[in-house]
Amino acid sequence: MTGMLMPFDKHADPTDEALLSQYAAGDGSAAAVLTRRLLPRVYRHALRMLGDAAEAEDAAQETMMRLWRVAPDWRSGEAQITTWLFRVTANLCKDRLRKRRALGLDEIAEPPDPAPGVARTMQDRQRRDALQQALQALPDRQRQAVILRHIEGLSNPEIADIMDITPGAVESLTARGKRALADILAGRKSELGYQDD
Amino acid sequence: MTEKSKTDMDAVERALSAAREDLKVPEGLMARVLADAQAMTPKPPRAVVRSVRAPVWRMSFLGGWRGLGGLVAATCAGFWIGIAPPSAWPDAGALLLGVETSTTPYSDDSEALSVYGWDIEES
Repeated sequence: MTGMLMPFDKHADPTDEALLSQYAAGDGSAAAVLTRRLLPRVYRHALRMLGDAAEAEDAAQETMMRLWRVAPDWRSGEAQITTWLFRVTANLCKDRLRKRRALGLDEIAEPPDPAPGVARTMQDRQRRDALQQALQALPDRQRQAVILRHIEGLSNPEIADIMDITPGAVESLTARGKRALADILAGRKSELGYQDD
Repeated sequence: MTEKSKTDMDAVERALSAAREDLKVPEGLMARVLADAQAMTPKPPRAVVRSVRAPVWRMSFLGGWRGLGGLVAATCAGFWIGIAPPSAWPDAGALLLGVETSTTPYSDDSEALSVYGWDIEES
């Protein structure tokens, strides 16, 4: 099989930017690779921000559409695509949260079921739901900072770039967010089985 | 940090790291995003097709290479006639401008020449 290229081999290594550039030049297969690479992170971020699977799907789809739209005008080297995506996702989610509040629909949404069909223990499910409910109780910016830092694993400078604040402010937001999460989850420790761990 | 709050923070850390597990993107969402991407794929830049002009000898309005050959021959002949017209031909330029031209009769025994003494030969 030496020398034989599989369909995705040509996209095995290219950077996100290179793929976007290929897409802008009319290569639809580059968008497929980008989608598989980036959509999970976009969707996960939207889901954690909104706490509602259907709304998260809409926000993620809209974010990706904006990426396709901006592709021909993307300026190489100006921003990382992931940074741009997180920023757009967060802005779309905040818009939705604002509308939700304006309509008085800001009760904590049904916890999302992130992986339907996947077997998991009831306790795992409860813990995940509890975390999501605790995240929803945080102010928007604290929630965004905690998600980006502790779930997406971004660095403080990267988060600062996305949120347009200083790395020090990111540190402050994540620290306060984690303390708030601890307070919220402390009352449910026995229910969630954390005392047994 | 007290022991109790440390335990609470540990619980948060564990919950957050569990949330890091890959979420499966709903298949419907994946399909919709892929469809959007295909539908919005920019058109590849059109290849610039240069209009290739036919070489001069293939220009049909000149009658092809035979016509062009005649045209070149006529041009050369006209150019040459312009430079060195046959002496028997009238001066076309003077005719058009209405200027008379005349030749000066010349003879060694002309009276006119004698007036200026040009016919006197030095001895």
